[in-house]
Amino acid sequence: MSILKVENINKSFKTLQVLQNVSLEVQPGERHVIIGPNGAGKTTLFNCITNVLPIDSGKIFLEGQEISNMPSSKLVHLGMSRTFQKNNLFGNLTVEENLHLALTATKRYRYQMFHALTKHIDLKKETDEILAQWEISTRRNVKVNNLSYGEQRLLEILLAMASKPKILLLDEPTSGMSPAETAQTAEMIQKLPRTVSILIIEHDMDVVFSIADRITVLHHGEVILSGTPEEVRNNEEVREIYFGGGAKAHA
Amino acid sequence: MKKNILIFIVFLLIAFVLPFVLSVYGIDLVSEIFIMAIFAMSLGLIMGYAGMVSLGHAGFFGIGAYTVALLGPHIPNSYLLLFFSICLSGLLALVTGAIFIRTSKFYFLMITLAFGQLLFALAWQLKQWTGGADGMKVSAPLNLGFGEIVSPIGIYSVMAAAFIIVYLLLRFFVESPVGKIVKGIMENEARMSALGYDVRIYKLLTYTFSGALAGFAGSLYGFYNLFVSPDVSSWMFSGQVMMMVIIGGVGTLIGPAIGAGLFIFLQNFISTYTERWPIIMGALLVILVLVGKGGIIHWFALLKSKIFYKKRKNSDDYAPQHVEKEEVVN
Repeated sequence: MSILKVENINKSFKTLQVLQNVSLEVQPGERHVIIGPNGAGKTTLFNCITNVLPIDSGKIFLEGQEISNMPSSKLVHLGMSRTFQKNNLFGNLTVEENLHLALTATKRYRYQMFHALTKHIDLKKETDEILAQWEISTRRNVKVNNLSYGEQRLLEILLAMASKPKILLLDEPTSGMSPAETAQTAEMIQKLPRTVSILIIEHDMDVVFSIADRITVLHHGEVILSGTPEEVRNNEEVREIYFGGGAKAHA
Repeated sequence: MKKNILIFIVFLLIAFVLPFVLSVYGIDLVSEIFIMAIFAMSLGLIMGYAGMVSLGHAGFFGIGAYTVALLGPHIPNSYLLLFFSICLSGLLALVTGAIFIRTSKFYFLMITLAFGQLLFALAWQLKQWTGGADGMKVSAPLNLGFGEIVSPIGIYSVMAAAFIIVYLLLRFFVESPVGKIVKGIMENEARMSALGYDVRIYKLLTYTFSGALAGFAGSLYGFYNLFVSPDVSSWMFSGQVMMMVIIGGVGTLIGPAIGAGLFIFLQNFISTYTERWPIIMGALLVILVLVGKGGIIHWFALLKSKIFYKKRKNSDDYAPQHVEKEEVVN
């Protein structure tokens, strides 16, 4: 069974149809990349899947369960988590505090009112683990606003991973990054365990082809093609969108 | 942490010594300050830790005060009266908050203002029970199990104890998961939602807790003043408390308490010289807010950072705190 299934969803802003009968499927463990020129509706698709924007019609299933109208906060508890195109962090808090907030979201004690959060040992342990695993222990007590841009992008992914999702939605994790940082991020995404499926929007073609198991091409709100990287590479229509017809390649 | 405990002990000592050095009038004044400090801290909680700026918080204060005034003659047990006040105001905060928190910023301000005025109007209109604009006497002697407390020192001790209890409760609250989470929501609501938090529950919990504390302050005021009038739930009073919070420092726990102290002290000090004290008070407040961005509490922080500048210079996480607090006020 596919972990995420999007069935014929439509979304329009007033008269502008942004998504037209978009369907796609993500298999367990798959790295599924969505590509497409600017304005193709990629981020809107993410916002619709996570119900930040309500869809006009269509259905979305997470592990066979319909989630079309579920509040985004509930989706995390069902195993779906996302990042944002622009850094969406807690800038005035430290790295550790950011992780605490992300980790507590799925803890039983998240409704406790008079017991200190930091006294929970499991929270400390998990925070330590994450910090050690991604080699950012030294940045623990640094305010997020004082982190480098690349570090913030990394933290963005770590926050989404904190809930141990079954599927992770990454919205342009490498946007605005230097080539070196981009390569690092691609490496990091490759390091994520296969127990988590990933749906990812990406512009950088090197990154796309280095991580993708499957690629879906979105153009003017429609799915042009969904296939293996090889199929996409050799598809005439995709070449047309990206290189022909005066359209500028975005990569 | 150790530093906090030290400050706490110093405060306890001061609170203990004060009655011996102050006149009866001074003791009475400090008692009032303790009550207002509790009230200001309750508003400071939702303003500084949850980003909810309310202009109707006096409504809960009024509920507490009128609960003591109305039920006092029928219920001799002070504990029960306090309990009822807290429950009633907390319950009301829960019910109204469930509606109010759907709005934000200006709309939240407006709807809480309307709510406060509604309670004010009720107290004003229900003449047969509340005495209307004339107010009503409170015939509920404060008795906590060791005789009636009437002496200024007795009242002072009770209010001081109440203040300490509330402060500790608030301290525990802001360190708790809910406290941390609601602060996260204030900073970035969309992300908290994306992380899996049902943000409304946390805002509502905080608002309810704050409302209950305001009610507690109100009931203490009933015992203290032995007279209540609709003014205790007027929007002017809500505005005054908001001033206390802003003067003291939004985003800290003790800041609003300090603001309350200064406000009450100035109010009494100036009004001994002139009847036109609100004018001077107003001017002072304008200056305080203009000069003391971030509140008095941040002057201390600033002073401290000047003194310990060298030590702190290399610390990465240090930045003057008042920068972030300003946003909260806005």
